[in-house]
Amino acid sequence: MTRDEFERHRRRFGDAVESWPAPFRQQALALMAAGAGPDDDDAALDRLVLEATLIEGDDQALARTVLARIDGASARSSFLPRFLLAPAGLAACSAALLVAATLAGYQAAGLQDDLQDSELLALASGARLTGNGGADIAADPAEEGSL
Amino acid sequence: MPAAVSHEGARGDDELLARIAAGSQGALSELIARHGRGLRAFAARYLGNAGDAEDVVQEVFVTVWKQAARFDPARARASTWLYRITANRCIDQRRRRALRGFVGLDDISDHVASPDADAEATTAARQELAIVREGLSRLPERQRMAVLLRAVGDLDVVAIAEVMGASPGSAEQLLVRGRRALRDHMAMAAAGRERKPT
Repeated sequence: MTRDEFERHRRRFGDAVESWPAPFRQQALALMAAGAGPDDDDAALDRLVLEATLIEGDDQALARTVLARIDGASARSSFLPRFLLAPAGLAACSAALLVAATLAGYQAAGLQDDLQDSELLALASGARLTGNGGADIAADPAEEGSL
Repeated sequence: MPAAVSHEGARGDDELLARIAAGSQGALSELIARHGRGLRAFAARYLGNAGDAEDVVQEVFVTVWKQAARFDPARARASTWLYRITANRCIDQRRRRALRGFVGLDDISDHVASPDADAEATTAARQELAIVREGLSRLPERQRMAVLLRAVGDLDVVAIAEVMGASPGSAEQLLVRGRRALRDHMAMAAAGRERKPT
């Protein structure tokens, strides 16, 4: 950090360097401590790591992008009820689908049972089975009485 | 660090998060100005990829916008909370990268652009920084995270442990081992330079 940068950050974050956000704080403290003598090895290594790590970036561009993403997300969510996007909404939809699927399954299984019952009755009564087993039995009461 | 003054900075972040929770986009911009640089540097060096780091930091601040109301200043400092979100996003991003690399959709080579890579080789100081960067990239992931949280985030051991979901003892061990490995790498690089014929 140069002296100019230090002054710029001081105007931005205030006079109390210790209250500046990281990593500006460490850089400012390092600048202030320069020439004050050697400090401990770990602190020196941390400063070196910090210096090696910092990369240039445009915070204003980052803020613009983030705000655009937030605005875009809120515009999208206006098309869908917020409830459906929330975890509780998704869970409720899943539960409703599960109940519907269960009821449909019971319904289908019930119909299939009816068909099997008809076929068993036909077998017991010695009726000739066709592709439409139940209908034949009902259509021939005379055969039923011959049992 | 004087406690009263450090609390002042934390209080500033707390107030910003309260305003963000109330829907202030200006407060979010201010929070980005305060912490965007540090979070970007942390993510870039942890992931080894500046593009991924930019995506991660964007996601972090979108999450902050959505979840600011959940932040409890009694439980953690704002900076610890921000670095925790960032660390989790970085881990997710690294897994996605690894998966995409595994199925052949992505090149998983690490790269962080250096603004003046050519000039870097011209001075000893810049060479030293390049060696530190290389050393960081060779550290095991969790050691690297601990070293970066300390140096870039200026977090203490307890906060590092909170961010990493580890005990303070484990965090301390990771920090000690990471620093030792980094020093060893720098010493080897320096010895290599001395052996080179001039």
